[in-house]
Amino acid sequence: MPLLLRYGLMATAVLLAALLSLTIGQRSDVWLGNVLQLLFVDDGSLARSAVVDLRLPRMLVAGLVGTNLALAGLALQAITRNALASESVLGINQGAAFGVALAVVMPSLMIINLDVMAILGAIAAGLITFSIAGGLGGRLDSMRLILAGVTVGAFSFALVRFTFTLEDNLSRLILSWTSADISSARLDQAFPLALWATGGLGASLLLAHSYNILALGDGASQGLGIDPRRMRFLGALLAAILTGASVAAAGPVMFVGLVVPHLCRLWFGHNHRLLVPAVAMGGAGLVLCADVVSKLVRFPYETPLGVICALIGAPYFLFATMRARTMA
Amino acid sequence: MTDLSLDQLRSRTATRNLLVLFALMSLTVCAALWGLGVGAVAIPVDVIINTVFNLPGEQQTYIIMRSRLPRILMALLAGGALGLSGAIIQAVVRNPLASPNIIGINSGAALFALGLVLWLPSVPETFMPLAACIGGVTAAAFVIVVSHRRRLSAIHLALIGVAVGFVFEAGVDYLLVVTSDRETSAAMMWLTGSLVGRTWNHVTISWLPLVGLGSAALVLAYRLDLIALGEETATELGLNVPIQRILLLLVATFLASVAVAFVGVMGFIGLMAPHIARRLVGGSHRLLLPVSMLVGMLLVVLADGIGRAVAPPLEISAGIITALIGAPFFIYIMLTTASEQEP
Repeated sequence: MPLLLRYGLMATAVLLAALLSLTIGQRSDVWLGNVLQLLFVDDGSLARSAVVDLRLPRMLVAGLVGTNLALAGLALQAITRNALASESVLGINQGAAFGVALAVVMPSLMIINLDVMAILGAIAAGLITFSIAGGLGGRLDSMRLILAGVTVGAFSFALVRFTFTLEDNLSRLILSWTSADISSARLDQAFPLALWATGGLGASLLLAHSYNILALGDGASQGLGIDPRRMRFLGALLAAILTGASVAAAGPVMFVGLVVPHLCRLWFGHNHRLLVPAVAMGGAGLVLCADVVSKLVRFPYETPLGVICALIGAPYFLFATMRARTMA
Repeated sequence: MTDLSLDQLRSRTATRNLLVLFALMSLTVCAALWGLGVGAVAIPVDVIINTVFNLPGEQQTYIIMRSRLPRILMALLAGGALGLSGAIIQAVVRNPLASPNIIGINSGAALFALGLVLWLPSVPETFMPLAACIGGVTAAAFVIVVSHRRRLSAIHLALIGVAVGFVFEAGVDYLLVVTSDRETSAAMMWLTGSLVGRTWNHVTISWLPLVGLGSAALVLAYRLDLIALGEETATELGLNVPIQRILLLLVATFLASVAVAFVGVMGFIGLMAPHIARRLVGGSHRLLLPVSMLVGMLLVVLADGIGRAVAPPLEISAGIITALIGAPFFIYIMLTTASEQEP
């Protein structure tokens, strides 16, 4: 299949998923036939408000979070040369969640705003995981990388859960946030996310060539003028920032960064220059679909987005682990 | 050192190891005594000793005999079990980063315990430990079976454990979200690993399996020494390595599952205790296992005591304290052993 056609199909799928996410909701009178009209024509009705104030921000947040997380996952898999690496496996997602939980529990500790707290948490978790696994400089050890990531993640989540026990009102808030409940997403959350996604896409495109060279091995990339240590640092930083931004907006959505690059590699091959746009679209598409499922699975109740992604992603992770042959 | 003959060296190490064992035991007893004293009502040590041996009928007797003594005993049992289990799993997987939750025990136990609270609300809460135990064993059995089909290579065992853990964890998240506050609060408390409200009932149910499994583990210790020589050497010495691995893993799984069932998720004990033990007495498993057990006991009793001593009458879950101590410790260990250990 020609490349453009593949991209075209992908884009169409994302648009369809977005439309579906706008269409499905608790009001049955707002549906496929009139949702576009309601979106563009302000008739002052409650139905219009349901689309513009409730579903549109949610759709945007879901899509953008998906893009950010998928790009972060691609960066991590490229710099670690490990197909099982992703934000949630390396503890970065949970680290960001801990940053946010800390800011919620102790507002005096908040530095600038929630986004920054989440990014700082993500960077800290990433640094710890990578330094345990053999340092950003030296040779990364896959086994240590994953075990360290899982432990860092477990520790961060233990602390997030600890915040539950502090205050009852807070516990409900944090529980719904750690399960990535985006049903109350607002439009002003989508704008910073869009900025991060654009920046992340640009940075990934710039780094794509280096990702390709890094795949040849440390020695080869040094010979070709790419410093693997610097690349790993840049890639990890990009992943931490993208993860932090989406965790601050939507909570820790697990496994998107693992699943999307895998699936895209099946369809678009291993050239990262082609993969970056595909992964960006794929992430948006997957999370939009998950958002639709989250509205339908226990209709009329909502199931948080994070739970749906975990329920899809965790078995996929198990499958990928069992299939991976050359892990060590 | 050069003047010492091998025999002298050996007897010196033996004396040192005996000293370490003795010191650890006394430390554990002291910590247990201290644990009996701290809490919402502070009780001085002489009163404790008096109480335990003389039993006069007072309020303090009630607190010690009814509330704190079973709790401390439970902490000792669970800590010992987790320490032993961790030492075995690290030896079988041959990786110092491995711990009981790596083979999915914590997540499996959490899922089943929550499931029981949710789906069978009529079942009394005393069955929660049983459900947790079944869950832990199920998850671990799944990990072991799947890895066995790949000839149980250590790296696959660990990775599949992580993956299964994630699957069960996803289920826990789902259950937490679909339930109301009141139903989940008991389970949440248990998820953070707490010794609150452990009674003589818990002790009488759990001591027999834990002591039995613990003894079995200590008896099997020499096989771990053989496995530590490497798979090929162990096979040449007549050991069926995959079978032995499964046997040892089963013992470790049951130990950790029962412990987790009674005291909740205390993730870092199984990771920390063997490391501390290894620094104290070296790598021979005949000594490493009992010392790991003692260190585990000490850690859990201390964590429980600290949780009650920090801000009485409030209590901080022992699991939180162990995580707070355990994580920096883990990072320190990993950074200092970075170059020596092979995966």
